[in-house]
Amino acid sequence: MDGWKMKPVVLGIASFAVMLLAWESAVRLGWVNPFFVSQPSAVAATLSRTAKSGELEHNLAVSFGEFAVGYGLSIVVGILAGALAARFRTIEYALDPFLWFLYSAPLIAFYPIFVIWFGLGVPTVIALAFLLSFPQIAASTLNGFQNVNPGLIRAARAFGATERDLLWKVALPASVPMVISGLRLGIGRALMGVVVGELFGATAGLGYSISYYGGLLKTTDLIASLAVIVVLGVLSTQGLSALEARFDSWRVND
Amino acid sequence: MKLTRSIYLTAHNATSRLCAQRTLISTLAVAAFLAVWELAPRTGAVDATFTSQPSRVIAAGWDIVTSGGFLNDVSVSLAEFAIGFGLAIAIGVPVGLVLGRFPFLRNLLDPPIMAIYATPHLALLPIIVVWLGIGMQSKIAVAFVGGVIPILVNTTAGVRGLERSWIVAARSFCASSWDVFVKVILPGSLPSITLGIRLGLSRAVLGVVVGEMYQSQAGLGNKVMRYGSEFRTDYLLFYVLLISVFGLAATTAVRVFEEKLWTAGK
Amino acid sequence: MDARPELEPAPHIRVESLTVAYEKPHAAEKLIAVSDANLEIARGTFITIVGPSGCGKSSLLLSIAGLVRPATGCVRVNGKPVSGPGRDRAVVFQDFALMPWRSVIANVRFGLELQRLPGLTAEDLTARAHRYVELVGLKGFEHYHPHQLSGGMRQRVGIARALAVDPEILLLDEPFGSLDAQTRDLMGSELIAIWERNKKTALFVTHSIDEAIFLADQVVVMATNPGRITEIISVDLPRPRSVETMDSKRFIEYRQRIRERLS
Repeated sequence: MDGWKMKPVVLGIASFAVMLLAWESAVRLGWVNPFFVSQPSAVAATLSRTAKSGELEHNLAVSFGEFAVGYGLSIVVGILAGALAARFRTIEYALDPFLWFLYSAPLIAFYPIFVIWFGLGVPTVIALAFLLSFPQIAASTLNGFQNVNPGLIRAARAFGATERDLLWKVALPASVPMVISGLRLGIGRALMGVVVGELFGATAGLGYSISYYGGLLKTTDLIASLAVIVVLGVLSTQGLSALEARFDSWRVND
Repeated sequence: MKLTRSIYLTAHNATSRLCAQRTLISTLAVAAFLAVWELAPRTGAVDATFTSQPSRVIAAGWDIVTSGGFLNDVSVSLAEFAIGFGLAIAIGVPVGLVLGRFPFLRNLLDPPIMAIYATPHLALLPIIVVWLGIGMQSKIAVAFVGGVIPILVNTTAGVRGLERSWIVAARSFCASSWDVFVKVILPGSLPSITLGIRLGLSRAVLGVVVGEMYQSQAGLGNKVMRYGSEFRTDYLLFYVLLISVFGLAATTAVRVFEEKLWTAGK
Repeated sequence: MDARPELEPAPHIRVESLTVAYEKPHAAEKLIAVSDANLEIARGTFITIVGPSGCGKSSLLLSIAGLVRPATGCVRVNGKPVSGPGRDRAVVFQDFALMPWRSVIANVRFGLELQRLPGLTAEDLTARAHRYVELVGLKGFEHYHPHQLSGGMRQRVGIARALAVDPEILLLDEPFGSLDAQTRDLMGSELIAIWERNKKTALFVTHSIDEAIFLADQVVVMATNPGRITEIISVDLPRPRSVETMDSKRFIEYRQRIRERLS
């Protein structure tokens, strides 16, 4: 079966090509009603049209802006909270129930509350993206600090490390793989926050776009925007996975 | 991060002390939060319309529970979740096992599956509503899609992660393929399967709730949106908390089950 | 005229009635790792500590290193009691304990950075680290990272790191325990060769009887339950020692003696 060990990227592209082909054929052969699933050719046409008209660009920009602010905030707050919780046990214990709640509960249900607080539109979406990703990053950061290999700490102490040394020269670098892992997981959640936030009450953005066209039953336009979301999701996840892999050698493996 | 402790003093030696301390501080933190939540509006620092108060939420809760429609909403949401997630397990586990067993199929289907995994499954809501309408079917479908992918992916990973040597050992004892499946592959991949179920569970709950919030005629999410648009924060919060509690309870239940599995395995 | 008797030089390390105890999880009594150990180590000698698992040999070493606080008794270095890690002692660990994000040269420099000796610039530290990287035979590997190195190479880095801070005392806690047999033998000979050059006081913990005899001036034999020192044997074999030394009658006698002690 050695022929199948092709590079995953090639296989991925091939797989998608096959599926697109099957999709297009199924519609042309009349097996499936294009009203429900549209066709790759129509979707492609829509995409190029919206790209030319600037509509795609506008939606992308809005969604990306919301994502950047929400996710960026959650990185800053999340790493800070995680680091503080690692340093001060009291903070860890105090934050624990709230983080657990934020992490496990279906937070999107809080959407209407955000609407009450921030109104419809961009701030609510940002708040949602932030709330969804921040607990993940905080938890991973905390985990990273707490799971520093004790052998490394012992070695550093043996060579006379002060507590500041232990923080800056051992704990911080050692926690990087876990922090990046948390960042990767947080991206998916932030993205979801943006899309869902836009689904309900925005006036622009990719999520708004799919909701709008969904309401008009314009399947082709819907799928076009959806395809963009899928591509973004895949790209960002792969991107961070690659980053994670690069720092993987920092994990202590003996 | 008590880095200055002697290295050999493991965390164990202070376990019971730490455990009590942890519960105490956590409880105090929550209590403090509740107190601030209740008292802040009274002092006029915050408008109760925006944040409500624990007392009001409880009162609203009482009103809701004792009113007629509540049971209907709960049963609708629960049914959507149960059917959707049940289907996710019923399909996700077998397909995951098959994919784990046959590398060719896995390589073929991996890219689209990973693409779906990387996408926020809730983005599929509008198209699912186009296909299935605003009734219960669309919520079941979203719950299914949300839950099936993690279950499938983790089941496959579980099968792949099995030590080859176990399977070889079983074969050396003349075990049939069925035996190998039941006695080695299934138990061996069970931890991964339960992990997938736990991950899929929260996604399924989310699917039902958001689906109901988006377009529905009944259910808890439906009420959330309604009260939200009416600015009735106390009623809204009750439903939100109810949903959260359910999500938490379900996740915890699976966790407990997972742990039982681990200790039984030892 | 009376001839004053030559005063014996004071021991470099003195262990006095040392007891090390650890708290057991979920248990009332403590686990006695080392019970009432007494030991005197002269300057410049190579001491090995051998014994079965659980006999407290690592605990003894780590007490001398200052990483474990004794329950009773004390350790004195140059007459002064040990209260924690210090510049005069450096440790080599069984699990290497190298920082995975640092290159070889950066790892060797690690101890030097922590010492903060005044008057040394960063270039000085790096230059010094280079010397020790060369000393342990890793020239050319300065910019490799631990995950790119074999076990033996990683431990060389550990040894270089310890030597780089120029300690008076070198403490090695089963340093070759994670390596395969051939690498162990090789590393042992190399370690002795390096040691011969500056004759630091060295303590080497092992569970291999042969390794203990081959390397040592004196072998400290320990027993378990409770962990205690049972015998201290002077190894009267000339240096440099070779593979042939291990076949000599004397060596075999020592091996016999220790084996009997341990069973």
